[in-house]
Amino acid sequence: MSELQSLSQLQQTVEPLLNVQEVQFWLDKAVAWGQADSPDTQKDTCLHLGRLRDFLQQLLSHISNMGSTTETMKRLPFLGQLLGRLCWNPYVTAGDTNRGLLLQCLWGLYSEHPSTAVERKANQWIQKVLCQLATEEDSAAAQALMKCTGVPAEQYHLKVLRKMVEKLQDNIGKSCICPNKINQRCPCDNVLVASEVCVPLVTCPEVSPLIGALLQRPVTCVREALSEDFLDAVSSAYSSQGLSLEEPAIVSLWYHSLSSLEEAVLTLLESVTNTRSTPQELQQQVAQSLLPKACAQHCSIFLVTNDIFRSILKEAEGNKSVKSVIQTFTRCFLRELARLQYQTSVPLKAFFPQSPQSLLVPLLTLPSEMPREAWRNHLTWLSGSLQRLTEEEEEEEEGDRDGRNTGLKGHCIIFEAWFLLVQCAHWVQVALQLLVPSEPKDCHPLLWLVTFYHHPTNRWHHRASQLVRASQAWDHLRTVFLVSAHPLPTDHLQSLVTLLSPQPQQPSLAPLLTISLLAHFAVFCQLPLSGSTEILQKVVHQTGLVDEAAHALSLLDLRLNEGSCLSDDTVHLRIKGLQNTITHMLPAC
Amino acid sequence: MEAVLKNVASTVELLAVAAHSGVVKQWDKQTVYRAFHWCRYCEHIFSRFHSNTAIRRVMEKQLQPTNQSLRDSIPGYSDVSFSDLQWCQHLLLVGLLNNPELPCSILKILFDTRTPVNTSLSEDKDGISLCSHIIQCKSACKLLSPLTAVSDVGADAEVQGEMLMERLGALSNQSRDTCKAEQFLDCVLQGCEGDMQHFCLIITAALLTTDTSQTAARDFLLDWLQSKHGLLQHMCSALPTTLLIDLAKQHQKFRCAHSGVLKKVAADMEYSLSDGEWVQTSINPTLTFQKLTEHFRALFEACPSLRGETEKELNALKISDGDFDVRGLSVWGDLLEAINQ
Repeated sequence: MSELQSLSQLQQTVEPLLNVQEVQFWLDKAVAWGQADSPDTQKDTCLHLGRLRDFLQQLLSHISNMGSTTETMKRLPFLGQLLGRLCWNPYVTAGDTNRGLLLQCLWGLYSEHPSTAVERKANQWIQKVLCQLATEEDSAAAQALMKCTGVPAEQYHLKVLRKMVEKLQDNIGKSCICPNKINQRCPCDNVLVASEVCVPLVTCPEVSPLIGALLQRPVTCVREALSEDFLDAVSSAYSSQGLSLEEPAIVSLWYHSLSSLEEAVLTLLESVTNTRSTPQELQQQVAQSLLPKACAQHCSIFLVTNDIFRSILKEAEGNKSVKSVIQTFTRCFLRELARLQYQTSVPLKAFFPQSPQSLLVPLLTLPSEMPREAWRNHLTWLSGSLQRLTEEEEEEEEGDRDGRNTGLKGHCIIFEAWFLLVQCAHWVQVALQLLVPSEPKDCHPLLWLVTFYHHPTNRWHHRASQLVRASQAWDHLRTVFLVSAHPLPTDHLQSLVTLLSPQPQQPSLAPLLTISLLAHFAVFCQLPLSGSTEILQKVVHQTGLVDEAAHALSLLDLRLNEGSCLSDDTVHLRIKGLQNTITHMLPAC
Repeated sequence: MEAVLKNVASTVELLAVAAHSGVVKQWDKQTVYRAFHWCRYCEHIFSRFHSNTAIRRVMEKQLQPTNQSLRDSIPGYSDVSFSDLQWCQHLLLVGLLNNPELPCSILKILFDTRTPVNTSLSEDKDGISLCSHIIQCKSACKLLSPLTAVSDVGADAEVQGEMLMERLGALSNQSRDTCKAEQFLDCVLQGCEGDMQHFCLIITAALLTTDTSQTAARDFLLDWLQSKHGLLQHMCSALPTTLLIDLAKQHQKFRCAHSGVLKKVAADMEYSLSDGEWVQTSINPTLTFQKLTEHFRALFEACPSLRGETEKELNALKISDGDFDVRGLSVWGDLLEAINQ
């Protein structure tokens, strides 16, 4: 009866501000948590910490809206009891957010000029609680030693915590000598419990070595498991920079938590596509993200990362920065994988299960891993294989168009082949380089490959007609750069500019294709630098494609720097010279 | 020196103001920071001069009139002694938190919850915003401690053992006179009176430290322990066997002391006809006959050299009891048999 009465009283005073059932819920929880110290209670506390935070936030805003503590105590009479109990619950006070909210609630109840007995009493109570929390020790020995040695409390508690973390870290790090029988106890059981206990501690910097050890525990036992709550808490603390982890622990976090891996990949994509970075900067950003290393260590991380890239590329196939990220990422990944070669026995096939297997090794091979004389044959083979593959699929698609099959499967195969080419775009760049000294009779495979890279399908990208126009562009460039005619053949130059400009009737050729080709001609042709510069300057000036040209030159420079593709410095100097001309044309400069 | 004396006296006055005066209402962050700064100064003065009897005496003399005048003007004032200076920051904090005139702004400064940028005890943060961090560390330890192994000394006892050794080491470096070190140990022992079990763990942890520069201090601690027979007996009966064995392995003195305690426990046993077992006659029985046997066995296993010697001794005692091979007549005979079973 009395309980009912108190509930209805509570209802009358509290109802306009808070849901009385909710208040009662938290009061009951606070009592229950304080009464037992069983693993179930701990689990229940950990499970409710997030909701408790929201409730405390709500309380805090009510407290700060009240005129005085007397009013607050009248409207929210349960406050003292609830806050008092929560202050003594280490699960609540261990986490930064809840401890901060609790303290703010207490400050909110503290009256600067206490005018009533209630306010004076509240002040006394708050001071007493805070004093006990901060200065009283559970153990008389600790108090005695601090007094007799003069070690400050903060230093003492910090030392104890660090020591405890160190011991647990050692324990957790030990690999399990697991009994075969399922019903026997094994140290792995503790891993789950430890991970649950760490949920409120994820933002405590002293505990981070233990969190790292839990994440990195080798999977040796069927019972080994980290709690989902723990992984969620660690992910969100890590992403909000509330927790700093060592590199191997970060990799383990991605291995265990899909959401955290997704976030890492998307953050990388966002940061590199939002800034106008040079290819060199991009490579640095990608390598620093630690993702390529993680991918090389764990095939599953690579598969997820690659899947994200695949979907992004489907959405934004024409976006040059997305393509650059994917290419750069793959290059960094391959480098990390080569470093791990002796430790890992995972076949390449496992990393690229969807790619056409015949193309896998030829495309993933870096140009620097092959004699230069073999490049042309290699590219001719690659181009031929890709061409056959697309033609077969496209023919099938045509045949099926009026039939039952929608041709989706064929489209998928072409997409996967193209996706692999985007990942290994170094071969497209080599093709561009080889197009400069090519003769009309042997330029076709190279032109086809470059066109396929920019216009992967026939139906949607009009690859066939683009190929014709790419050949025209190549023809003009060849005349302009190789036939050393002075004055410049203006008709060819003009045709080039027209090719680069958007035309209403026809789908236009990707300007990047022509600009890249132009940049390669400017670098590798026989003309003196001044001649090359003049042509480049004229075309870029008339089309306004300054950024694109600068980007193509940096990309080329980066590739030539890698794997000692180039032995002499003259080409670098030439690129530098061309870059200077281009950048001086930027309106801002 | 005069300036130092004046500073110390002023800090004691500052402590009184912090704990009892309404002036704290006017304190801002800078004032609070400076107050903690002066407290650290006094802690430094203490650690610099506490073993220098002459200076110590001068300081104590200087504090007398200061305390006297504060006592006269503040009701409920409790004196601050020279040795209180070593935890001056704690006194300031407790004083502030108990001052009924404390403004909320100071509470906020002391319990600032913003995470410190640098967890090392930097000058800027020292003394300020420390309470929130203390609460966090304490709570975290409470959460983690059930996960640690039961047979272990425990992280807290280990840290306390290190603190003990550090102070003992410093004291024995400062003077040859062991009086100060003894006083220090007695002071800690007194503080731990309610929790002897934990004190035993602290001593164990201290003796198990491996820092070679503290060998002399460990030796001193062992000697001190041997002079406290009750404490030694408590250690031998209440500590987990694994820890006793660790101690016996590391320290010969402890090995002998342990074996001596066990023999004394055996000597005090009587055969209970109703139970058919040897039992201790003391008011607080600490070890059963079975535990005693286990302790001897473990000790012999860890230190095989002790075995022959002790068995010879037990045998001699058995002979002096009449050398009967009948159970219940000689505790030594029965013990020997049980050990070798």
